[in-house]
Amino acid sequence: MTSLQGRLIITIVAAVVLIGVALGYAVLAPGAGAPVSAALAGEGPRLQVLTNGLLSTVARADPDGPREVTAVRCDRAHAAAATVACLTPVGALTATSLVVMDRALRAGTTIPLTGFPNRLRVSASGRMVAWTLFIDGHSYAASGFSTQTGVLDTRTGRIVRSLEDFAITRDGRPYRNADVNFWGVTFGADDNRFYATLSTGGRRHLVEGDFAAGTVRTLRDNVECPSLSPDGTRIAYKSAVGGDPASGWRLSVLHLATGRVVPLAETRSVDDQPLWLDDLTVAYALQTGDGTNNTWSVPAAGGGQPVLLVPGANSPA
Amino acid sequence: MFRRTSFMVAAAGVAALIVTMSLPGGVASAATATFAPVADTYVDNSTTGTNYGTSGQLGVDNSPVKRMFLRFTVAGVSGPVSSVRLRVHTDDVSGSESDSGGVFKRMSSTTWSETGTTWNNQPSIDGATLATLGSVARNGWYEVDVTSYVTGNGTYSIGVTSASSNGADYDSRESGAGTAPQLVVTTGGGASPSPSPSASPPPGGDPVLVGAGDIANSGSGDSTTAALLDSIPGTVFTLGDNVYDNGTASEFNTHYNPTWGRHKARTRPVPGNHDYNTSGATGYYGYFGASAGDPAKGYYSYNLGSNWHVIVLNSNCSAVGGCGTGSAQVTWLRADLAAGTRPCTVAMWHHPRYTSGANHSPDSSVAPFVQALYDANADLILTGHNHQYERFAPINPANQLDNARGLRHFVVGSGGASHYGFGTILANSEARNSDTYGVLKLTLHANAYTWQFVPQAGRTYADSGTTNCH
Repeated sequence: MTSLQGRLIITIVAAVVLIGVALGYAVLAPGAGAPVSAALAGEGPRLQVLTNGLLSTVARADPDGPREVTAVRCDRAHAAAATVACLTPVGALTATSLVVMDRALRAGTTIPLTGFPNRLRVSASGRMVAWTLFIDGHSYAASGFSTQTGVLDTRTGRIVRSLEDFAITRDGRPYRNADVNFWGVTFGADDNRFYATLSTGGRRHLVEGDFAAGTVRTLRDNVECPSLSPDGTRIAYKSAVGGDPASGWRLSVLHLATGRVVPLAETRSVDDQPLWLDDLTVAYALQTGDGTNNTWSVPAAGGGQPVLLVPGANSPA
Repeated sequence: MFRRTSFMVAAAGVAALIVTMSLPGGVASAATATFAPVADTYVDNSTTGTNYGTSGQLGVDNSPVKRMFLRFTVAGVSGPVSSVRLRVHTDDVSGSESDSGGVFKRMSSTTWSETGTTWNNQPSIDGATLATLGSVARNGWYEVDVTSYVTGNGTYSIGVTSASSNGADYDSRESGAGTAPQLVVTTGGGASPSPSPSASPPPGGDPVLVGAGDIANSGSGDSTTAALLDSIPGTVFTLGDNVYDNGTASEFNTHYNPTWGRHKARTRPVPGNHDYNTSGATGYYGYFGASAGDPAKGYYSYNLGSNWHVIVLNSNCSAVGGCGTGSAQVTWLRADLAAGTRPCTVAMWHHPRYTSGANHSPDSSVAPFVQALYDANADLILTGHNHQYERFAPINPANQLDNARGLRHFVVGSGGASHYGFGTILANSEARNSDTYGVLKLTLHANAYTWQFVPQAGRTYADSGTTNCH
């Protein structure tokens, strides 16, 4: 880095820090009480993670080094471009909510929600935010649990509270069923096309959706928690072993053009929506038996081996 | 500031310094066990939002102010503890030496996060001073006597501060086994047996409560936990979701009866949401009969031994007229507690007030249960719903540590249904497991209880301890 670039970055960081200090307290999520400026300290690209529910960042070049930990509490978080999204924890008197922040963690749109945070994604442009919650009470759900998946268009303000309102084409035919559940959305570069998991009738489909048209159609089975690669050609996902989620999930990559599926080198069961760090690398969280999350990475082309990326962290972005 | 690895190979060449190596006499039969920290980190008031949990170094200083935190879990130690020494090793780097090695203190918090603790959110170093280390040199071992604190199996936190502006730097557990902090526990030996703290009178007379929730489906987990019950006498409890998915009579006959049903005659059950997937939970009440209480209520109480009162509540609130403070159930609960004369009370129901599980959130609808129990000085709460095991410290109704009056909360959803993962770990969560089926065995002493998680055959996860009634 040249000294000019260095000075420029320091100046920008300092300015953002000042804004963060000046405005930080008032805009923090409930329960927060400390300045958030630390999230922006340091130079070079940073990776956002959750450290047991605290929004944090580590240096991409030293992901297991010192960690900047804010007081912002999220059960799930994701960030892309200028948007940081957070599903806040369920409190004694408060339900969860989606809080959309900027990179200085100033809260913008806040949407109260009902349920328990499960998945959260921001489109690469920062425009679209999609979430999945576990919800109780849908006793008709054959899978034993129910989800609700919604989408916010931060540019237009349009909110779709449940993708279950979208028109479904299943195996080429219009389809309706009370047991429909969606989870794990990922958006394409046009901020309109998206992929998600649709569960119904004991099957778990990969669907491709059109947000403007309000439609989804099934593409193939046994693809859960899809994550579209930055170049838009592949989907990383969790594939139920032997088609049975009770047997665990194998992290895999689907090549959209050919339908080829590549199981990745991670052989432990991954119950997470993977994240592309770049076009060659997929990150994901694995949990130990005591509930400690660790973020790992593995080559997207298959082969190689998993590498521990950020100890004690999940929700990488 | 950066993770150090160089000293992992450098330590051998320099003579290690050991101070206060004084063991009590008569060590012939002494046994020692050495424990590495389960967590260690430090905080720095010049970088208030930074966590150093993955660093190879630990610092104490007064300018900038640095404090370090160590946590050890002592397990598998039997017999009276005669000596416990904390050993710390100074970093092999210039500047690690100091005129003050720091003041070592007890801490009540044993649940701080290694990778999340910063100056801003640090736990309080709120306990008595254990020892003060004088000057420390580079690359040496130093010892602190913590015998007064570490009295047996359990989890212990130690915080270290310094009044010197010349800070000391130690090696953390990330530095490797050769230099990581150690807790050396010596048992037996010639030392006079310490007054074993509330040494549980182990006669066979104490009643036993044993069970779990989230039990019987078409899988094999229910069989493996039922097999544990075969060799554990006592009263069997369940914690709801006795059968999957719908609580039908057929499911009770097909899934529950061949497994946990072997112990039906000594079982006092709890109803769960899956039991109520059949309207009125008629499958549940039909199967258990009078043991389940009034089918219109599902809540009831009974006594065990001469000192224990057991309360079963129904957290399927909509099925029983609610769980609110003015509900019939809470009115009954408060009256039942007020009528009790026994020193120890355990309560159980299905939906956890506090849980770190990823699938079901903490349920505030049962908060009136918790408040009534706290008001009456009850001792512990057992729940299920999330398919895993979790144990909390004694806490008040707001999940704040309360060693005087708090209740331990347990989630024992490990009865056989496929496991769930954990989400954000709540404060005061002391033990967790999400990969082992098992049952919780409670031995009910005259004025204390001993808990023991009994794992399925072939698995090793363990959690046990004893807490006095209040």
